Amino acid sequence: MSKNDSPMNSKNNTVSGLKQKLDQLLGKIRALGNDSLEKTIAVAVGVSLFCAVFVSLSAVALRPLQVSNKKLDIDKNIVTVAGLISEAEASDGDKVRAALQSIETRLIDLDSGEYTDVVDVETFNARKAAGDPELGLIIPRKDDIAHIKRRSKLSKVYLVKQNGQLDALILPVNGYGLWSTMYGFLALEADGETVRGINFYDQAETPGLGGEVVNPRWRGLWKGKKVFGSDGEPALRLVKGNVDPSKAGSEYQVDGLAGATLTSTGVSNLIKYWMGQNGFGPFLGKFKAKTLEGAA
Amino acid sequence: MSAVSDNEVKGLIDEIKDNQEELKQVVREPLVDNNPITLQVLGICSALAVTSQLTTTLTMCIALTSVTAFSSASISLIRNHIPSSIRIIVQMTIIASLVIVVDQILKAFAYEIAKSLSVFVGLIITNCIVMGRAEAYAMKNPPIMSFFDGLGNGLGYSLILIIVAVIRELLGSGSLLGYTILPTVQNGGWYVPNGLLLLPPSAFFIIGLLIWCFRTWKPEQVEQPDFKIMPAHSAEGGH
Amino acid sequence: MASTRQFLDSIKPHFVEGGRLQKLYPIYEMVDTFIYTPGDVTHGTVHVRDIIDLKRTMTYVVVATVFCVLMACYNTGYQANLAMSEAGLGSVENWRRIIMDSLGYSTLNPLSNFIHGLLYFLPVYIVTLAVGGIWEVLFAVVRKHDVNEGFLVTSMLYALILPPTIPLWQVALGISFGVVIGKEVFGGTGKNFLNPALTGRAFLYFAYPAYMSGDSVWVAMDGYSGATPLGVAAAGGMDAVNQGFSWFQSFLGFIPGSMGETSTLACLIGAAFLMLTKVGSYRIIFGVFLGMFFTSTLFNVIGSDTNPMFGMPWHWHLVLGGFAFGMTYMATDPVSASQTNPGRWIYGFLIGVMTVLIRVVNPAYPEGIMLAILFVNIFAQLIDYAVIQVNIRRRAKRYV
Repeated sequence: MSKNDSPMNSKNNTVSGLKQKLDQLLGKIRALGNDSLEKTIAVAVGVSLFCAVFVSLSAVALRPLQVSNKKLDIDKNIVTVAGLISEAEASDGDKVRAALQSIETRLIDLDSGEYTDVVDVETFNARKAAGDPELGLIIPRKDDIAHIKRRSKLSKVYLVKQNGQLDALILPVNGYGLWSTMYGFLALEADGETVRGINFYDQAETPGLGGEVVNPRWRGLWKGKKVFGSDGEPALRLVKGNVDPSKAGSEYQVDGLAGATLTSTGVSNLIKYWMGQNGFGPFLGKFKAKTLEGAA
Repeated sequence: MSAVSDNEVKGLIDEIKDNQEELKQVVREPLVDNNPITLQVLGICSALAVTSQLTTTLTMCIALTSVTAFSSASISLIRNHIPSSIRIIVQMTIIASLVIVVDQILKAFAYEIAKSLSVFVGLIITNCIVMGRAEAYAMKNPPIMSFFDGLGNGLGYSLILIIVAVIRELLGSGSLLGYTILPTVQNGGWYVPNGLLLLPPSAFFIIGLLIWCFRTWKPEQVEQPDFKIMPAHSAEGGH
Repeated sequence: MASTRQFLDSIKPHFVEGGRLQKLYPIYEMVDTFIYTPGDVTHGTVHVRDIIDLKRTMTYVVVATVFCVLMACYNTGYQANLAMSEAGLGSVENWRRIIMDSLGYSTLNPLSNFIHGLLYFLPVYIVTLAVGGIWEVLFAVVRKHDVNEGFLVTSMLYALILPPTIPLWQVALGISFGVVIGKEVFGGTGKNFLNPALTGRAFLYFAYPAYMSGDSVWVAMDGYSGATPLGVAAAGGMDAVNQGFSWFQSFLGFIPGSMGETSTLACLIGAAFLMLTKVGSYRIIFGVFLGMFFTSTLFNVIGSDTNPMFGMPWHWHLVLGGFAFGMTYMATDPVSASQTNPGRWIYGFLIGVMTVLIRVVNPAYPEGIMLAILFVNIFAQLIDYAVIQVNIRRRAKRYV
């Protein structure tokens, strides 16, 4: 190297020097017998390194898209259960996000029924919280009609506003069917009594029988049903066969799923539990009282 | 890296030119004559699990075909440098990486389908077809040929899966790609959907019947019986 | 009779090798051996002669089901008439009224009960015979094997284990699956490892569960909801069963259920006949019974707060659902059962154990014997293999 080499040149030189060394190394590795220890280690390290970089790069690059997809998937269920957009439109992410503008997410304390801010509502995850020693609780066996064993002390609720007025209320619910815990949303009208819609976004019931809980036609039967009986206790349930609309009490009944007695019972229990005093009962009580006062 | 020089690129192009006939053969053969599912009976597990809907099946087929093609090609590229003592692990590492990337891409661009495919994309890693092609073909053949061999086998797999999925979705849910073809009783139509076809074991029956059809069409695929049963009526005495 | 023999002999040349209708030989053979003893004689020096051949064996099984068939007709009609009188209906709203209106719908009229049930059983049976028969003959012609009397047993048993309200197209689909997938793909009678009748029913059970289970399919009246006692037990335990049904009533078979399997008495008569004629293995029948007895008693002792089925005693397991029918006619199927004597005990015992296990522990399937028999069918060969290996080792030890 001459003294007058510019920094640029010396850098180039180091690069080419490195390249040369790498070539030498590769040449050496290539020259090694395939089954020698050195070659084995070199190939193992090389392949692992290359694959690790390849996988990490793709994971990092695609991460933001995946996160937004995951959120969109839940959001889609929220906006469709409230009937803000139809299920056909829900495949359009922009429409979902637009509809989401009218929804306010709040966190409530299930026991007191009050709004709370003890944890951040954005990061709150009810499934994780249920297993958390601080945020979760074990449901006493006699109260555990939905057979979910544990639940979070807190829950998200979604308030749908139209022109500043409260339009609907969306509550996350879950309960055990025949084979699986079914997770879904129940949307109530602003009166806190009438069902607007229900859906299940995570379930593994028998396809064609219990799996029909996701059937849009069946879910359509829920609209307009009343949750609470005259005594204030949850009365809405699934009945065997078809509901006779002319009979008294039909507003508290939904057609059972044909051939899926246990899934149907599971759905009834889920409503009974989450609408009862151990679920959203206290919140809904206060919510209704507040609407009477004219406050959202 | 200097590993891929101009000469080698030129070599690859020559390889394609020289072996056009063989290439065609390599892609065509696994479709019917040496189908990985109906003849080799490999890769059955995902064939059972994902075929209840045509959409998920198509995605799975694309995922598996691309993994098989690219893993075969990359394994073939370094085949002369893989020590035989760790060759399975090296193959697995490459296949696994490709599968993870495919899974990540699906989660980013086709979330709904990725959700319904759940673990089965990940399970491509253990799919016998991918490993089988890597070990049986890519380790002995040049990259381009290996690529097309992987492609052909992926397509052979896809062919069977699509047939199974069409039968299962049409008769099990009365729809194809989610569009209603036969309006079901549950939705106020006339068709009583066959619930068995929504359950994974039904794919066994359909694949079994397909193998039956294939072997009736191409009797050379029939295996020799292990032993012959003597017909009762022609049993003459004099042993 | 001699004239039929002469006729058959006179047309035989057309069917044997070289004849114009050579392909249809299996059909000729079927008709011939159905009416007459086969003319085949053994050649060679060493052979065993026995009057019991496959044809006779199969015919005996069909004969053994006669009381079940009678009860199937009577009880199906009785349940339908009962449901109608409860609902206050004076007439049925389907083609059966042409005959039934003249007989009336009183449960006190045995003839009305019987004919009403017959009008449900007969269409199912005819469809079974026709569709299953077509498959049977088709395979016989293509595969060049004989049409076998085993099909008569399959079709009879299959028709008896269906609910009365089943749509006939499903009957056809089920028997097609049973005959083709359950038997013919393996090479026909004697080579199948599953019971074809049960295979057909299992197909329907998983394909069209709404028509094969639940509360509304067991009584032949539209819109009538009447659970089987077994379904009642699964939901509400023994207390609920006792409210609706007495043990003796269930034993006789006057309960809702699949057409032919409600009457334990009829099945036990059939079992006695099969055991006396040695067509059905007493080892299997008692094995099933002991397995059921052992497991149900075990569950009784363990007890459970949440699952009412734990408390069901063995004598109720015996009379409810298809247990007696499965034990008598399905488990003893000579083709799909174990063939060695110790193997038969094990095979039967396992069926009994599995039946109670499925009935009690599985929440989705109140009836267990169908799945239990199919499951143990798969193990039948393995059991035989183990028995033979043990025997070989035991004998080998003598010569150490």
